[in-house]
Order: sequence, then C-alpha cells, then structure tokens
Amino acid sequence: MRVLFQASLAAVVSVTAAAQNQPAAPAANNAGPLGLPIPPAGTLVAITNATIMTASHGTIQRGTILIRDGKIAAVGADVQVPPGAKIIDGTGRFVTPGIIDAHSHSASEGINEGTQSITAEVRIEDVLRQDGTSLYRQLAGGTTTLNILHGSANTIGGQNAVVKLRYGLPVDSLKFEGAPPGIKFALGENVRQTTRPQPTRYPRTRMGVEDVLRDAFTRAREYQAEWKKYETAKAAFDRARQRGAVAPIPPARDLELDALVEVLEGKRLVHCHSYRADEILMMLRVAKDFGFRVASFQHVLEGYKVADELAAAGSGGSTFADNWAYKLEAWDAIPHNAALMAERGVVVSINSDSDERARRLYQEAAKAIKYGNTSEEEALRMITLNAAKQLGVDKRVGSIDVGKDADIAIFNGHPFAPASRVEMTLIDGRVFFDRATAPTLEWLIDRNKRRTRVTSEDGR
Amino acid sequence: MKRVLRGLHPVILVAVATQAASAQDGTWALTNAKIETVSRGTIPKGTIVIRRGLIEAVGVDVAVPPDARVLDLSGRVVAPGFFDLTSTLGLPAAPAGGGGGGGGGGPQGPQQTPSGPIGLEPAREVASELRVTENDVRTARNAGITSVLVAPTRGPFRGLSALVPMRDDTASKWLVRSPVALHMGFQSVPGRYPGSLLGVIAYERQQFYDAQRHGIVADRYKANPRGAERPRSDQNLDALVPVVRGEVPVFFAADNENEIRRALNIGREFNLKLSVVGAEEGFRAVDVLKNARLPVVSVEFPEPSATTGWAYRGSTRVEANDSTTRATAAKRVIEGNAAALHSAGIKFALTSGTLRPDQFMANVRKAVAAGLPRATALEALTIRAAEAAGVDAQLGSIEAGKIANLVITQGDPLTDSARVRAVFVDGIHYDVVLPPARPAGGGGSGGATAQAGGSWNISTQSPQGTMQGTLTINQSGDSFEGTMTSEFGTATISDGQINGRTISWSISINAGPQPITVTYEGQVEGDRITGRATAGEFGSFPFSAQRRPQ
Repeated sequence: MRVLFQASLAAVVSVTAAAQNQPAAPAANNAGPLGLPIPPAGTLVAITNATIMTASHGTIQRGTILIRDGKIAAVGADVQVPPGAKIIDGTGRFVTPGIIDAHSHSASEGINEGTQSITAEVRIEDVLRQDGTSLYRQLAGGTTTLNILHGSANTIGGQNAVVKLRYGLPVDSLKFEGAPPGIKFALGENVRQTTRPQPTRYPRTRMGVEDVLRDAFTRAREYQAEWKKYETAKAAFDRARQRGAVAPIPPARDLELDALVEVLEGKRLVHCHSYRADEILMMLRVAKDFGFRVASFQHVLEGYKVADELAAAGSGGSTFADNWAYKLEAWDAIPHNAALMAERGVVVSINSDSDERARRLYQEAAKAIKYGNTSEEEALRMITLNAAKQLGVDKRVGSIDVGKDADIAIFNGHPFAPASRVEMTLIDGRVFFDRATAPTLEWLIDRNKRRTRVTSEDGR
Repeated sequence: MKRVLRGLHPVILVAVATQAASAQDGTWALTNAKIETVSRGTIPKGTIVIRRGLIEAVGVDVAVPPDARVLDLSGRVVAPGFFDLTSTLGLPAAPAGGGGGGGGGGPQGPQQTPSGPIGLEPAREVASELRVTENDVRTARNAGITSVLVAPTRGPFRGLSALVPMRDDTASKWLVRSPVALHMGFQSVPGRYPGSLLGVIAYERQQFYDAQRHGIVADRYKANPRGAERPRSDQNLDALVPVVRGEVPVFFAADNENEIRRALNIGREFNLKLSVVGAEEGFRAVDVLKNARLPVVSVEFPEPSATTGWAYRGSTRVEANDSTTRATAAKRVIEGNAAALHSAGIKFALTSGTLRPDQFMANVRKAVAAGLPRATALEALTIRAAEAAGVDAQLGSIEAGKIANLVITQGDPLTDSARVRAVFVDGIHYDVVLPPARPAGGGGSGGATAQAGGSWNISTQSPQGTMQGTLTINQSGDSFEGTMTSEFGTATISDGQINGRTISWSISINAGPQPITVTYEGQVEGDRITGRATAGEFGSFPFSAQRRPQ
C-alpha cells in the first residue's frame, strides 16, 4: 500500500522549491475555520520549458513565464529565472491564458427577479456565492474569469458581476476589481414568456420587447434631466448663499434608472441575450437612437446573418460552439457562426452558459477550428482575449503578455486535442487548482482500490 | 457592604401609587442566595429586596424590610432573568406558503394575493397584535426566560417588535418596550416583487433611499408648508424614517456567512443601527462582525452540510468523499460559533432561533461545552440581550433600580445539572413546576404527544424551487407509518416519530443517479407542521405542512 501511495504522489508532484537558502514562504492563509488553504499571494513563480500559447503574439516553444506580485513580469524563450523563484516545470506542457467565460450563471444565489420585465436595479454582486463544487470544477478546466449574468426572463435583467474564480477565499475576493460594470438585456421568447402556460406580464411579443426598452430609456433620459436640473439649481444655491433661501431637495433616487443612466452615459456595458437577426437589428436601432453601444450580443445564434452590422456597431458576439435547434428561435443556428462572424470583423467569444460546459471551454473553442477553419490562435482568443475585450478587461487579462495578471492554465497536451486536460490553474500567480493535490476521480478510484486491497490483506 | 436603598424619584412614586393594587406591590426579600449580578460579579451569600416590581437593594448586608415576604434561598443561585430575542409568541399564525429564498424563475403564474401581512410592512406594530397565552408564557418561564422579543419571521420588512415580560396577567399589557427594532430579512414575497433574493436586496435599498428623502420632504413641509413639496401619505415610509436616521435599530435576520455580510453591507450603506440576528456562521464573518452593532447569535445550530465551506473541504484529499469526518469537524466549529466570536473580542447576545425554550437552554450548554465561558454565556442571555434591545437601563443585571426579573436555580445556571426552581417577573413570584419526568431521554419536549394522523399538504422550499406534495400519516402512539408523494413519486416513510410536539421522518427519493435520503424534522402546531428538511450534501431547507380537512 505504501509503495502504491508514494508512486502516485511521485507521478504527479511537479512543483519544487528552487533555492534552499530563501526564507520559508509564509504559512498558507486559511480562509476561515471551514476554509481551504490557499497559497499566499506575491510569490515569485517561474513556469519553465513550456509551450506557451500567448493568444496575442503566437506560440513560444520551450518558453518561460516569470510571475512577480501576481503579474506576468517576463515571457519568452530566453527569460532568466532569478534565484528563489518557485519553479513550475512546464516540460511537455502547454500554457494558455486563463480561460474567460463571457456568459455564466455560476457563483450566484438567484439570477432572475422574474416579477417585472425591467429590473435594472438588481445586482449579481449582492447575491454572489463563493462556495460550490462547480466553481472548483471550472477551475479544473482552466477557467479563471466569469461574466456572471442574470437569466433571460426579463428584458433588462440586472447588473452583472465579473469575477475571478478565487475558490476558497471569502466572497468579496471573487470580484474582478476594476472590471467595468455591465448589465444584462434579453430579447425574444424567454422575455415574451412563450413557453409558459400562463404568461404573467407584458410584453407578449417582440414588438412589446422593443416598447419596454424604449420606454425604460425614455424614463432614464427624463430622470437624467431631472438630476441635471437639480445639480444646476444646487450649484446656483451654493453660489448665491442667500439668507433665508432653502436648499433644493434632490430628486428621488431610483436604483433602476441609475443603472440605465449609466448605460446612456457609456459607463455600463450592455450584454444582450439574443437569437434572431431581426431582434438583433432592433436592439442595434434602439441603442443607436439612445446613443449607447451594445458591448456584446450573447448567444447571437443568427449573428452570421448580421455580422457586418455587428462589426459596424462595435458590438461583440458571444456564442455557443454548436448548440442549436433547441427551441424555435434557435432554429437557424449553425456551428459556423463563430467563424463567420469573426471573418467579418466581429470580436467573437465562445461561452458556456452552463456549469458543465464551463469546465471544458477549450473543447468548445476547438469546434470553431473544425467547423470554420478558424486559426488556432483565433480559436484560443475566442475563450480568452476576445472575451476579455467584450468585458472591458483586456488590459488586465486574456493573453500572456508582460504586465497582465498571471491568470494561467497549464495543460498536459495541446488544449484543442481531445484527451488533453488541465493540470494546474493560476490566478494572480497563485495556484488555485493543482491536479497533483486535488481529489480527482482517478484519485478516488485509486484510493478505493487501495482500500479494497488493504481489506483483503487483513482477511476481513 | 453598605446598605443600599435608593429613593425612587417622586414622579415615579406618584405614578406607581396611582396604579391599582397589582401583584407588583408585593415586597420580597430573597435571602442567603448566591447572586450572579452579571454587572458586578457574584455575591456568594446575599440578599435582594424587591418592591413594586423593582429591585430595591442587593448586597451582602442588606436589611430585610419589615413588610417583606422572606424567601430563604440557601443553596440556590439567583441570576437576572434570561432573554429570548427571537420569538413569535403571541403572534397570529403566519399565512400558509411563504417566499422561497433565491433562485427560481419568478412566479409560475398568477397567484392569489394573500390576505394579511406578506412581509412588506415596516409599520406593522407587533404590540397591537399580541395574544399571549399563559401556556406559552409558562413554557418560557420554566426555562428561566423572563423577557421575550416578539417579531414576525418572514419577509424583507417584517415589522416593529415588542419586548414582552413573561407574566401571566396579560403580558402584552405590560410591554417593557415597543417598538424595540425594525425586523428585516432576505425572504422574498410569493407572487409579487420582490420575488427573489436579488429583488429583496434592491427593494430594501430603494425603500431606504425613499425614506431618506421622505424624511427631508416631511420636515420641510412641517416647518413651512407654503411652497414646499407635500410628503406622500405612506405609513410604511413614515416608519422607515427613524430607522434611516439611526433612531430605531434594525434586527436583520442573517444566518450564513454571506447573509451576514449582505445585511451588514446594507447597514453600512445607510448608516443603520443594525444588529445581525442569527449569525450561525458568525465564525466565518468575524472580520465584519467586529465593527458592527452587537449581534444576536442563535444557538440553533445548522446542519454541517448546510454550512458555507462544506464544499471547500470536499476539495481536499483528506476529507473528500468522507462526509463523516467532515461532519464531525464541521459540527465542532458550528457549536463553537459563540466561543469563536468571544475569542475575537466580539460582544453578543444569545438567542433561540426557532428552538423551544428547553432546547434553547440545552444548546446554550452545548455552546459552553464548545468553549464559550459560562460567565460570557450568562451575560449573553442577560445584559447583552438587554443592550441589543435597548433596555439595559432597566433590565439585564441584578442592580438596585432595575426591574425585578430574576431566575432562581438549583446549581449554577447553564450547567448541565442546573434546575430552574422559581422565576420573578416584574417582581411577581412564579414557582416553576417541573414537568413529570419523561421516559427515555428524548430531549424533554414537554406536553402530550401531538396527534398528527391524517393527510397533509406539504411544501418544501428547496433551492430549485418549492416542492409541493402530500403526506399521509398513520400514527400509533409516538411513531407512525405512511407515505409522501411529490414530483419524485411516492415514497414510503421510514423512522416516523413523534416526541411531544416534535415530529420527524425520513424518505428516500430518486432525483438523480443515486437515491437521496431526506430527513424531515418539525413542530406540530395543531393542523400545521413547520420545520426543516435535510438532504445530505444538498443542505437543509424549510418546509411547512397543513393538515387537509377530513
């Protein structure tokens, strides 16, 4: 039994501390009495001798990535590893940027406030949940950043949250600090409640969906004007400082309209659930009329029909790899959608919309190569850099470039090869998943075998 | 010690003198007692004089007034009466149903608007609704509880609570304080906005913004109505104005780590005087509780599998796939919650959650066994609770001038062998009649075995939504057989037991690759059962059942 145990350990341990004369690393901080020990931040880490797929400037053979203070300090074929760095031996391994899922419903306790069609006031950040096995499974698939969106029950679902999968740390640590705020819109059958035996509310048609959108933004404009008027009056009052004058009372604050004003002012990114070409064009017209940009169309299954319009509007497309015909409005979906949109200049990402697919987005990206002849690097961008662009975080993550966050997935083979799997996932240079220590299925099977063996040796 | 005898303020004297002769007029001298004053240490052998419902003097050499009835308490311990700050005693039963937690895709269709409160009534005053029964009062008192804070338990804005003394003569007429606090929570409202956790938080924040402005508009209008915006007539907004101004505290029900953080975030955004109530995972939120108003910590311990962090532990090789090891370790942490808060220097009150008074005290002893100093536990049941409720000037310790709410025990209170022998409430003496010894342990639920036979509509609030079903119970004595039908089919009940009013059973359902055992435990209240269903690693959820008419 002991021999077996040691053998299994030796086979998977690949992390070694380089220099012996360095001060001992601080003890792992524990995220509370029921928490998981997480490696400390700020360690000097070097991933050496690996095939590095940068997603921005090609693939580096036998390259090294140096990570300092959670950021990528150097990347290349001839990077010197300073003494004291913790070495991760990348021999035979493929390294990619941490995978970004532009459409997720994980890590959230509730996604739809389905009682109204416009609920711009509700916020995913209020209901984040850090505890859940699916998050760990996604980490095990190299996924490091999620765009957590509301569901598609409402025309305007609410304010999204972009998070990093810092699993085991308190809930506030999940938030992707500095990510621009966003909001989820939805069009089509879900909003119209077509599948419900007893629809509960307006709108019942695509015409109605456009109407509630225009109505909401008209109200937002009026609200914006009301506040501007108040600010002018307040400024005049402050200047005059007249005796006996009464300060103006601010307008009633409205959390729903606050969020929509941010959209009008370009401070909040719109991510819009959509399927059909006609509704996509409708959304583009509404956005143009009210002077904002739709950052990404989500699902966008008929995006290939209106790719030029999407590209001209500067809207991204975040789609499924090959998910189609599961409902009427998904009838015209084709697996070439991602490639066709990309060819016309749309920034395309491939998302999961699923705890399950989020564990293997690299396989989803590979499908773009199979169906659309997309280049390897473009396919990789569809789950990394392009998703980062759609979320407005591409200065921070999405590629392996100096200065970016050290969010990295390490594969045991080419990420688009069917049998490859993730061995290690780093966020901010910290190892949040390591197959060598994780209780994987293989490990559990092996352990149960060992148990059986011990039992039989004891004759019981 | 010098004789302590403080003259009452003349105005108060007049007020008291004009009251009709009530039981409060009795003068008592409790002699030879070990006195746990809580605020001024322990007096090994002293005297407490009670007059007109108040403690007149306490000390070693306090003279016994000639008109006093003397109670020789040799070998007995006197402590301040305990508080329970989470009670529904005397409130009309909540309407059936109730909101689910988070999740879900909104309402499933038009629903009937429930009559009566739905949890969006910040102006609801519990004091005007109380119907306290002597039986409820006695059950509390028998556990040493003399003050009970009553508030509704569902919805975002539940209403304003009242602190009720546990005396037989219409306790609701002698309220110590009302309103004590605005009670809030995270449950959604069925069939309307806010219908999800997301909506509840947004709704609560919007209401507080509205109240801030409402207060300004109302003040302006009151000062000079000419040319001023006229405030809306809205009693709920009126009730929220003193809350956003920090004049009325908020008691926010929040049990797990994230709920605690969410509640405190709302408190911080509006600068509320906010106490977290529940805080069962306070040990995971020490960082934020440290800087908050003192929390009211429930000793209703959650199931290990329902705690935050349960999944993390499963991602280590040591504890993966070994739920017994995990559960044992987690249970230690859960029962050590109060001890952990104490170690972090946090002051708190202890409370019952939904536990019955005797279970409440049993679990306080578990918290003590898990490392909470007994003296701290005693403080948490008395002076800290009084502070939380804003009545520490008149309650919570044994001091001259305070209300004579006392518990008299044989053995030190909160030890396993302690027995409550008598209780004073407002200076009224109540003997505790011990219930007859019950055979074979059972936790002493008190009272006769509930009759639960018949058909029940049962609704379980799982994270995936409300699961409706029917429950058939064939009771024989304190056990029963039967079936439960739900969307997962019909399951035969195993291990059906009734102990006093506590009912429990298990079923096995096929909802996935492997059958899942769901254990139900609840309280029978006439034709209603409320409690929790526990489904292993899936956690535990509230359920309620209503008996079908024959």
